[in-house]
Amino acid sequence: MAISTRLISPALQCLTQVARRVVLLNLALLSMLCSTHASEKIDVVALVTGSIDQTRGLSSYAEMSMLIKRPSWQRQSTLKAWTRGREDALIRFVAPTRVAGNALLKQGERMWTYTPKLNKSIRLPGGMMSQSWAGSDFSYNDMSRSDKWLRDYTLNHVDTEQDEGLAVYVIDATPREDAAVVWGKEQLRIREDLVLLELTYFDQDMEPVRRMVSLAIGELGGRAMATRMRMQEVDKPEQYTELEYLDMDFDVDVPDRMFTLFSLQSGRSR
Amino acid sequence: MFSSSFISTLAMLFNFSLRNIVRYRRRNFFLFAAIAVAVGGTTLSNALIRGWQVDMLETAVSGLTGHIKLQAPGFADDPSLQNAFSSLTPISLGDNVPILGFAQRINIPAVISSERETRGVALVGVDPANEGISLYRDFVIEGEDLGGPEDGRLLIGRALAETLQTRVGRRVVVIMEGADGKSRERGYRIAGVFDAPMKISEELLVFTGLEAMQAALGNTQLRTPITELSLVLQAEEDRGVAQRELAAQHPQLVVKDWREMQPQVAEIVDLVDATMAIWFFLIMSALTFGLVNTLIATVMQRTRELGMLRALGMNQRLLLIQVVMECVGIMVVGVIAGLLLGIAMVFGLGDGIDLSAFSESVEAFGMSTVLKPVLTLEDLLLFGGLSVLVGVFASYFPARRALKISPLMAMSR
Repeated sequence: MAISTRLISPALQCLTQVARRVVLLNLALLSMLCSTHASEKIDVVALVTGSIDQTRGLSSYAEMSMLIKRPSWQRQSTLKAWTRGREDALIRFVAPTRVAGNALLKQGERMWTYTPKLNKSIRLPGGMMSQSWAGSDFSYNDMSRSDKWLRDYTLNHVDTEQDEGLAVYVIDATPREDAAVVWGKEQLRIREDLVLLELTYFDQDMEPVRRMVSLAIGELGGRAMATRMRMQEVDKPEQYTELEYLDMDFDVDVPDRMFTLFSLQSGRSR
Repeated sequence: MFSSSFISTLAMLFNFSLRNIVRYRRRNFFLFAAIAVAVGGTTLSNALIRGWQVDMLETAVSGLTGHIKLQAPGFADDPSLQNAFSSLTPISLGDNVPILGFAQRINIPAVISSERETRGVALVGVDPANEGISLYRDFVIEGEDLGGPEDGRLLIGRALAETLQTRVGRRVVVIMEGADGKSRERGYRIAGVFDAPMKISEELLVFTGLEAMQAALGNTQLRTPITELSLVLQAEEDRGVAQRELAAQHPQLVVKDWREMQPQVAEIVDLVDATMAIWFFLIMSALTFGLVNTLIATVMQRTRELGMLRALGMNQRLLLIQVVMECVGIMVVGVIAGLLLGIAMVFGLGDGIDLSAFSESVEAFGMSTVLKPVLTLEDLLLFGGLSVLVGVFASYFPARRALKISPLMAMSR
């Protein structure tokens, strides 16, 4: 589903269904080429956009559970999320009661949070975007980026590995000089069936800082995708955030009013 | 004016006083010592307080304020490029008000992020060549200084670099409000890391080239937008004239002097003068009691002598003059010794007292970490003069005692 990648991997870009098929076709051809040629020949841009699109449709609806694990406590919550196109998303906590109703609305680059206890929507200022979302290991930035991936980074295919008989492409994404990215590089591991297996953020000493790993891969809404992911800081192995997809639908009919401030505050869950 | 006989009488009285002082060597030595230590200590403490004041004033002015700062009217409420104005060269105030220098800057709030941390800062676009008037000139820079106004790299403070866990040559992301009011994010490379006298500047100030920043913020209607112009005069006292003149030249701008920009510092600077006066009077009043006590004792001890002088025909006025002279004589010698002692102590301190062990609390008072005593001639003259005045005042009581002495009283002893 769309929100997953939107949530988890910064800068995942959406293509249309048609484009996605073209990419798949390309990749099929490319992987045939790969068997004979050097693996460096793959089209990394197509691979990355294809992977993004794999978990995203024209619109989507998902239910998921989030586990925030800390050394002394942990918290499990349930969320619902809707997306439309590449720009709009609404994420709302539905359980437990204590956090139910807390919601996040994204319109393009702009984001608002809503807290029922305050009955107030707050537009997130730029400076807060790198902070933690809902106490998790994800930042608002992780959830907001849409087309930055291709705009701000240079993508390089650096290695090809094998996983369960499928090729896994390791891709280094290096931010351009004046891009608004703090990382030294980001490294993606994408399986040839377009499932994103791992995403690692490196600092400018090229030491890994944060890593998101796909723990389970399955089929949801008719697509192969990572169904459980864990995000954590590399030097804090005892704390992490896990996101698990419980249910998801692609290309559903989401009403336009879903992505408005009114809807953010109304607390309606479908 | 005075007849020669009066002058010779005065000379005789002076002689009397001097002999009386010398006669009680032991007692008067302690009195001298008390006065000298009190005046010396006051001189030293006043020099330190004055040093603090001067230091605070310099810090306030050499921050980014200058003696006078020009800003657009709305800038105080909304510090963004929407409240910018066009570059104002040349600045001229005529020959009467010599200018040390001026700097034009863009100074807007921004958010800076590294891989690990995010902080709010003031992003300042400068032309390094013009910053000889601000704290910028005192920076000790690791890495490179900004090459010029077109240098699109950053100069950040040591404390900020430590907080962000970044260093020279690394990239950071800066978020700021562009000319169109929308937020702009951009990656910047760190050219250098500076050490500033005050930690707060290291935490809060981030510098980049002015022209590069103008380009990064996008277009306004202004050709070369700046948000502030700060001006340093050769003499701080000229700031009133300069402020009026600049306000007349640029009616569309807000012209403020440093006292208006930093009212808390101005208040403290004023308070320091009062503190010095209070300190002085506390010490002096304690001293006065000692002086009065000693002199009364002296007078009482000499009842017979004074009575004889009266019997020989010395009138009350001359007696009064003699006692006052004695008192002031002690005071003058004591004060001079005290001032010399104070000056010696100030020079003994040399480069000042290093307060870096208390740097955080010291900076809360807007001081740098070395407290350097400052001696001014005005202070020395003022306190010397006031001390002698205190001596005159103190001589009132023993003199009154002396006047009551009659030959008859002396004979009955």
